Amino acid sequence: MEWKHRHVLDLDTWERPDLQHILEQARSMDELLDRPIKKVPALRGKLVVNLFFEASTRTRVSFELAEKFLSADVVNWSASGSSTGKGETLRDTAWTLEAMGADAVVIRHGAVGAADYLARKLKKSVVFNGGDGAHSHPTQALLDLYTAWKKIGPLEGKKVAMIGDVLHSRVARSDIIAFSKMGSSVVLSGPATLMPRSVEALGATYDENPRSAVRDADIIYLLRIQKERQDEGMFPSLDEYHQLFGFDAALLKHARPDALVMHPGPINRGVEIASDVADGSQSMILGQVRSGVAIRMALLFVYLGGVRQ
Amino acid sequence: MKILFRNGLLFDGTTLSCEKTDILTEDGIISRIGKGIDDEGANEVYNLSGLILSPGFIDLHCHLRDPGQEWREDLLSGSRAGAAGGFSTLVCMPNTDPPVDNAALIRYLLEKGEECEGSRILPSGCLSRERAGKTLAEMGKMAIAGAVIFTDDGSPVSDTNLLRLALLYSSRLGVRVMEHPEDRSLTSGAQVNDGICSTFSGLKGWPSSAEASDIFRGVSLSMDTGVPIHFTHVSAKESINAVRIAKASDCKVTCDVTPHHLCLDESMVIGSGYDGVFKVTPPLRSASDTDALWEGIRDGTVDAIATDHAPYHLDEKDLPFQESSFGIASLECAVAAVLDEWKRRKEPCPLERLLSLFTSGPARLLPEKWRTLGLIAAGSPADLTVIDPAFEQTVDVSKWKSKARLTPWNGRTLRGWPVMTVVRGKIAYSLIDRVSGGK
Ligand SMILES: [Zn+2]
Repeated sequence: MEWKHRHVLDLDTWERPDLQHILEQARSMDELLDRPIKKVPALRGKLVVNLFFEASTRTRVSFELAEKFLSADVVNWSASGSSTGKGETLRDTAWTLEAMGADAVVIRHGAVGAADYLARKLKKSVVFNGGDGAHSHPTQALLDLYTAWKKIGPLEGKKVAMIGDVLHSRVARSDIIAFSKMGSSVVLSGPATLMPRSVEALGATYDENPRSAVRDADIIYLLRIQKERQDEGMFPSLDEYHQLFGFDAALLKHARPDALVMHPGPINRGVEIASDVADGSQSMILGQVRSGVAIRMALLFVYLGGVRQ
Repeated sequence: MKILFRNGLLFDGTTLSCEKTDILTEDGIISRIGKGIDDEGANEVYNLSGLILSPGFIDLHCHLRDPGQEWREDLLSGSRAGAAGGFSTLVCMPNTDPPVDNAALIRYLLEKGEECEGSRILPSGCLSRERAGKTLAEMGKMAIAGAVIFTDDGSPVSDTNLLRLALLYSSRLGVRVMEHPEDRSLTSGAQVNDGICSTFSGLKGWPSSAEASDIFRGVSLSMDTGVPIHFTHVSAKESINAVRIAKASDCKVTCDVTPHHLCLDESMVIGSGYDGVFKVTPPLRSASDTDALWEGIRDGTVDAIATDHAPYHLDEKDLPFQESSFGIASLECAVAAVLDEWKRRKEPCPLERLLSLFTSGPARLLPEKWRTLGLIAAGSPADLTVIDPAFEQTVDVSKWKSKARLTPWNGRTLRGWPVMTVVRGKIAYSLIDRVSGGK
């Protein structure tokens, strides 16, 4: 297919065929992961820089494995700890990377708009957004789609119940957009203080009652609750949160019997999710990790593998 | 020095005439207004056929960063930029370093302003000492020295008692209090409009209620004291409604709106890929808020259009959105941007109403001695702005006289531009060739 996106910044302008194409590419990559020798020479001679301003071992390792399985040259440019104002600006870093001949840059940054900014400054390199502030985490959303699609098939008409801190979550933003574009209906639940103002604009609805939100859901997606949100007064206590919105076996009963339980990790046991469901048979949490490598391989291949027309 | 302006379409501050009029200025004063004025004795003559001859435009709110932040702007660059943007008068904000909270700094600005070749500089002074929001600044001394507005702009006056005292204390000084309406407890950490933009970006939302609630507070203080209050850069529908209701109950409240809130909305923040050039406080609002500001212009709720020109060095602005500084630089294209938007919206109000918001509107908010800046009358200062409603020009920020090198309008072709600015009877900016002169 004709691939019209120059970078992977967010999924706002992606359409269903784009998402579908990446899912199918990921399936081929997934098969590769089962082989005894996983490495293929698809990206030999390509230079990929992982530019991480925030420590995120999971995302970085996942990208790095994907890059290495495809035989790319990999540079980990760890910028964590150094903020802008100290040392090099992101603009200078961008130009340095391009001068070094980076074919792609994976960026993880605490500031909203950092990946877009980098994309504006780079003339040739492809930018993969590994998460920018609370804005977007497109590869996470794609790997979540892939995990669900692989397990239950087409996502059209499926119900996704997402519970937790949507307001501060880049994962939630990207996942809501991605699942709705695939034709799923997304219902959000959690304290009203942790919801963005215009959830309908994202393609979701809000139901403050987690039981009705979860009713007949095909997928339950839990979001991480951070202690600092309690400190900011967004909700009274983690304990109360768990009592009102914590996901456990009792709540799971309201969903469809074969519903998938997903979480972007790392999980807070006893806060947003109880151990019985986190470790239960319906949990996809480890499957998501494996999907992450496959989906990132698919993206790297589509953008750098020479199949772009 | 005598200058004759011929055949202009006269806007006198209130009414736009469709008859050709001549104006003669003599040593900085308008000496004659009429038809067929003899060019005998005029040093310079300009033909303004098809152009609007207006009282000089007044920008009630701009940041010239002088003293102390001259890498962003200074009085000279700001004054030249103002003239190039069609403004004959700039009221500069006191949130400088140090803040303008005393008579000596007011005098510094006036004296340095005299040396500038562009717009006339009128300084505003802080409402509170050190702009700290704790105790009153020496408003009396500053009023005598020439301060034209008292404001802690950049910050609201969060202490309600202090704002009440400021209203009472300034009431006899003839200088108006301007409040930057913002409830800080609602905006801490906020970056964009609380709505579509905060929802999609994940950035903290700046709700309209943060502005409207401060306006309601100020209105009740103004009602209580009987002293006028001015709200600057009003950006949201709720806030305009609050001002409209207050005006209907005879409260002496006034407000201004900015060109960026009239012309741009939050969708551009998202559409640009979170370009910091669109980052400003109060934030760019929804399209319906923008519509509400135009409705406020149409029905008379809005008293002035003020730029809130907030220049920064490129290094402070050209950053990922969340790290970029708050502020839009617009002085040199603000008038054109508003005229262009007015046309694009199919002229939602008469042109003379729009022009009055740059002239008599803001002039009425200044101390008594400056009110004549907003009209054209024999004996008034020869501060004039000439508008060509049909002229099209592309904004090129790299050529600006301002030190700012980023503006949301860069590269945009706008229709309707100021083509000449006259300050104290001197041509401070002109795209018009003179017909004759040199006598
Ligand atoms: Zn302000």
